[in-house]
Amino acid sequence: MTDVAVDARARERLSLGWWGVAMLIATEAALFAMMIGSYFYLRFKNAHWPPPGVPEPKVVVPLVLLGVLMLTAFPMWRAARSATPRRWLLLALFVQSGYFAMEVSDFQDDLHHFTPQQHAYGSIYYTLLGADHGHVAVGLLLNAWLLWKLLFGMTEYRRKAIRAIAFYWYAVIVLTIVVTLTVTSPAFAR
Amino acid sequence: MTLLPFALLAAGCGSKQNALSPESPSAHGIATIWWIMLAGSVLGLGVIVAILVAAWFKRGVEGADRPGTITVIALGIVTPILVLAALFAYSDIFLIRGTSPPDTRLSAPLLGVDQNYEYVHVVGHQFWWEVRYGGSLVTANEIHIPVRTHVIVYVHSNDVIHSFWVPQLNRKIDLEPDQVNRVELYADKPGRYRGQCAEFCGLQHAHMGFYVIAQPFAQFARWARAQSKPAKRFNALFDDKCGSCHAIRGTPAHAHVGPDLTHVGSRTSLAALTIPNTPAHMADWLRNTQQVKPGSKMPDLHLTDGQVRQLTRYLESLK
Amino acid sequence: MTSTVAERVGRLERQWAERPGVLGWLTTTDHKRVGLLYFWTTLVFFGAGGVEALIMRSQLIKANNSLVGPEVFDQLFTVHGMTMIFWFIIPMTTGAFGNYLVPLMVGARDMAFPRMNALSFWIFVASGIFLYIGLFSGFGPDAGWFNYVPLADRHFDPSRNIEFYTLALAFNSIASTLTSANLIVTILKLRAPGMSFNRMPLFCFAFLAASFGLIFALPSLSVDLLFLYLQRNLGFHFFDAAHGGSSFLWQHLFWFFGHPEVYILIVPAFGIATEIIPAFTRRKMLAFPLVAIAELLVVFIGFGVWAHHMFATGLPSTTLVFFAGATSMVVIPSTIQVFAWTMSIYTGRPKFRTPLLFIVGFIVMFVAGGLTGIMFLAIPFDQQVTDTYFVVAHFHYIIFGAAVFPIFGGMYYWFPKVTGKLYFERPGQISFWIIFVGTNLLFFPMHIVGLLGMPRRVYTYPGDMGWTSYNLVESIGGYVTAIGILVLFANLVVSYFRGAPSGPDPWHGPTLEWSVPSPPPEYNFAVIPTVSSAYANWDSDDRERDGHRLTAGVGTLERGHEQHVSSLIDGWTAEIVDMPHASPWPILLALALSLLFAMLVITKFMFAAIFLVIVALTLLGWHGKEPQER
Repeated sequence: MTDVAVDARARERLSLGWWGVAMLIATEAALFAMMIGSYFYLRFKNAHWPPPGVPEPKVVVPLVLLGVLMLTAFPMWRAARSATPRRWLLLALFVQSGYFAMEVSDFQDDLHHFTPQQHAYGSIYYTLLGADHGHVAVGLLLNAWLLWKLLFGMTEYRRKAIRAIAFYWYAVIVLTIVVTLTVTSPAFAR
Repeated sequence: MTLLPFALLAAGCGSKQNALSPESPSAHGIATIWWIMLAGSVLGLGVIVAILVAAWFKRGVEGADRPGTITVIALGIVTPILVLAALFAYSDIFLIRGTSPPDTRLSAPLLGVDQNYEYVHVVGHQFWWEVRYGGSLVTANEIHIPVRTHVIVYVHSNDVIHSFWVPQLNRKIDLEPDQVNRVELYADKPGRYRGQCAEFCGLQHAHMGFYVIAQPFAQFARWARAQSKPAKRFNALFDDKCGSCHAIRGTPAHAHVGPDLTHVGSRTSLAALTIPNTPAHMADWLRNTQQVKPGSKMPDLHLTDGQVRQLTRYLESLK
Repeated sequence: MTSTVAERVGRLERQWAERPGVLGWLTTTDHKRVGLLYFWTTLVFFGAGGVEALIMRSQLIKANNSLVGPEVFDQLFTVHGMTMIFWFIIPMTTGAFGNYLVPLMVGARDMAFPRMNALSFWIFVASGIFLYIGLFSGFGPDAGWFNYVPLADRHFDPSRNIEFYTLALAFNSIASTLTSANLIVTILKLRAPGMSFNRMPLFCFAFLAASFGLIFALPSLSVDLLFLYLQRNLGFHFFDAAHGGSSFLWQHLFWFFGHPEVYILIVPAFGIATEIIPAFTRRKMLAFPLVAIAELLVVFIGFGVWAHHMFATGLPSTTLVFFAGATSMVVIPSTIQVFAWTMSIYTGRPKFRTPLLFIVGFIVMFVAGGLTGIMFLAIPFDQQVTDTYFVVAHFHYIIFGAAVFPIFGGMYYWFPKVTGKLYFERPGQISFWIIFVGTNLLFFPMHIVGLLGMPRRVYTYPGDMGWTSYNLVESIGGYVTAIGILVLFANLVVSYFRGAPSGPDPWHGPTLEWSVPSPPPEYNFAVIPTVSSAYANWDSDDRERDGHRLTAGVGTLERGHEQHVSSLIDGWTAEIVDMPHASPWPILLALALSLLFAMLVITKFMFAAIFLVIVALTLLGWHGKEPQER
């Protein structure tokens, strides 16, 4: 049966799944914008930030880790375009997992020095960071799911999925940049 | 007709807490802008209703589509911009100067010294108003002010957010736990002005009223002197049953969980305007606290009749 | 040739047929069925919210009344507000009207994400059951629908009432977010060939605006709810100054959501009005581009005015003046629309049938409410009447007038399309008049008692304030309104069983849903329509051409469960995709999420974590089956 002809101008179109991820990113971006706004609101309500007794945020390690995460944009981008995405996805997942493990370790280390129950500084610090790490964790699961699916071969659906999930990762990376700069900002303000 | 009730309002009918029965320059300014806006609104709504009524009259009349875009732009964009700009300029640049929190002038509270300024501190509690003047004057739920004096009220909250509102004298101002706000009360003439908490604060938000009583300066000064004095009498039963929450200056009872009762006998009402201050009501309050004001922070004390009589007599004597 | 058409239609019917019986409804992903599910469920919540209102009005009918005490009353006004906003208006407009009509209006066969659509419905139902379990077990939220801290903090509200508040709303907001995402992608990407962005019905502009509003505003509420949950249950500090927090933070986050929310409530209703008006005035909407832009602008500017809800809190004067200025700007898109609607009615050839009557009522009430809204931008006046019955009057004129009246009008307007029957006109008009009189009796006196000093959220009042007679009139108005609403629904029910057959297009409506049978077949369009204007059903040439295409088998998309995807701006064909059909995963995922939220209410975090894993596994199963390759 004949049907509607796809227009000649239709090249590589973004899939509906990509648009769905775009909507998710829009709403999560708004979520983080409000949390970051809250961070700065609380900061300007307090004369001492961090409060006395709480160490200033570390700068070097978070920024180095951030750089590592930013580099994983490249293998994600290659995976979205390549005919053999599995190697790129494996590389990305490997580095991202390493990043995540280090962040979890840092998070636990921070908890030894100050807790969220002491002061609003800790509350917003851990909530913001925790939310960011949560989004990274979801990204790890998505990459793992992709790799599992690709064990059964490549399909058009899976190709679109890689593209959409790469988009998710770019957004998470941008998010992590903003969050990291926010929580390390007291160290710069001196 | 829709305007009649508003006309009645202006005449001062039901004027206990009536924003349209203003007794201060600020409240006057607000009432004036209200009447202007009401007139404008009636006009605006009238235009829309007129067009719709005209449409009804010509219903079913066949004819070509007429253009109306110019009207839409003229009435929908240009006119509103002009009206809004005028309203904004008048209210939010000019009128607001009279209703904004006053600048703080002096640091020390005065209490019946300067005939132009007076200071009061009001602390909101669930569900009563703590009122403090300079010196040792502490009372509750009743604020006396000298007439034609700029009385600057500092407000904050001891617990949740409340709102201090005496419509006849000024706009409302919230009582916050983490910030001190200010509002000015300036009464044109003597009188008793009713106020009420205007931010939902819990179970007895509905029964958190207060009076502002404006008096000639001499009368105010007399009141202030009398209220500053400690109580003349001590009552052991009071100290035992009530002293853990209430203060009576001049006795060992000095807790500030509940209202200061040093001169409770002189107040117009009890329990933040929930009941009038009469011996019968006082006794009822002591006997059935949680029935009179369920959810108030004062528990039922399970007093005997004899104890109620004794306490009532004592408290009513504290004038 | 005709038999070929019959064969095509038969094929489409087989491919798109729903499973029979209850199982069919539980696993449906058809946007029309999901829309109907939303419709009936939101009506139940509307009834609940209405009963709550009637109980409150009965308590307030006289001074010092003791029908209900403060504990119950506080839960009533809180849950009434929450129910009407989050469980009636938003799901009725976006979930019922939006889901049912948007695909039909853009010429699509379903929403962009059919399973996600079903999921949002089941989550919505679960969140409502969640809230009402709280209310009926005596733990209903009781700190007002905006739930200010410190009153809502653990110290002042120790029981789990506020957990029901935070979690029911958070759960509900997931449903709204999913619906909004679905509506946006459907409107942007699933339009029929030739439906470029400027040829969309105004209804679609409105729903696009409201959906973007929800996507960007709901997160602010979610953050607020998250912070409160953490503070109450894990000892975090966001809102208490003693530990570096601020009670103002709750208010800012709440109103940053809360103000766009009110535009989200009324803009879809504007969309309904902008379809009823052309149909019943038999002319195109005046100043179409201005109206379309105004619908988008009002939501956009609405993000910049939130602190006008905080004028009495003691913010600095500069802040107040800024927000008053921004608020005056947001008035303009509304006045543009009001005059466009009114002048369209005046310059057209109006037929004042019931749907148009409700739109006329809507215009009158919206203008009245809008004018009192404008009064609030005089800051000193706002500071007198905020938190009194004056503001209760204002927002009920807006919400009831500008959201509920178009909803009622829309129910009558699209009744023939959904049921295939005509409603009875006379009882329809009577229902309008009873409701119009009732709502004015109910809400108009509130302006007066507010000016007379009656604050809001009071469970009783003294008899010597001069408020008693106004309250009596209001309560009577409440009962009259309730009667009018019952007449409306009785009419619709009787019409359903005994109405005359309506045919596909009783009104000669302007949009594409009127070009298909009533009720529409599961596949909506046998042939994907071509479109050359925003009033596609009035373009008889295009509709005739579609008839020929159906006969020739062009654009029938019958090779599977197929849907046409278009380009973003110009609406030319980008691809043909295979859409999911019935599925059990949405209801299963909603169930897993419900259990997760239930564990959070009782703060059993280990169990919550387990259910989170189950949620993840369900998502895995959901994405197990892939769409067919083309």
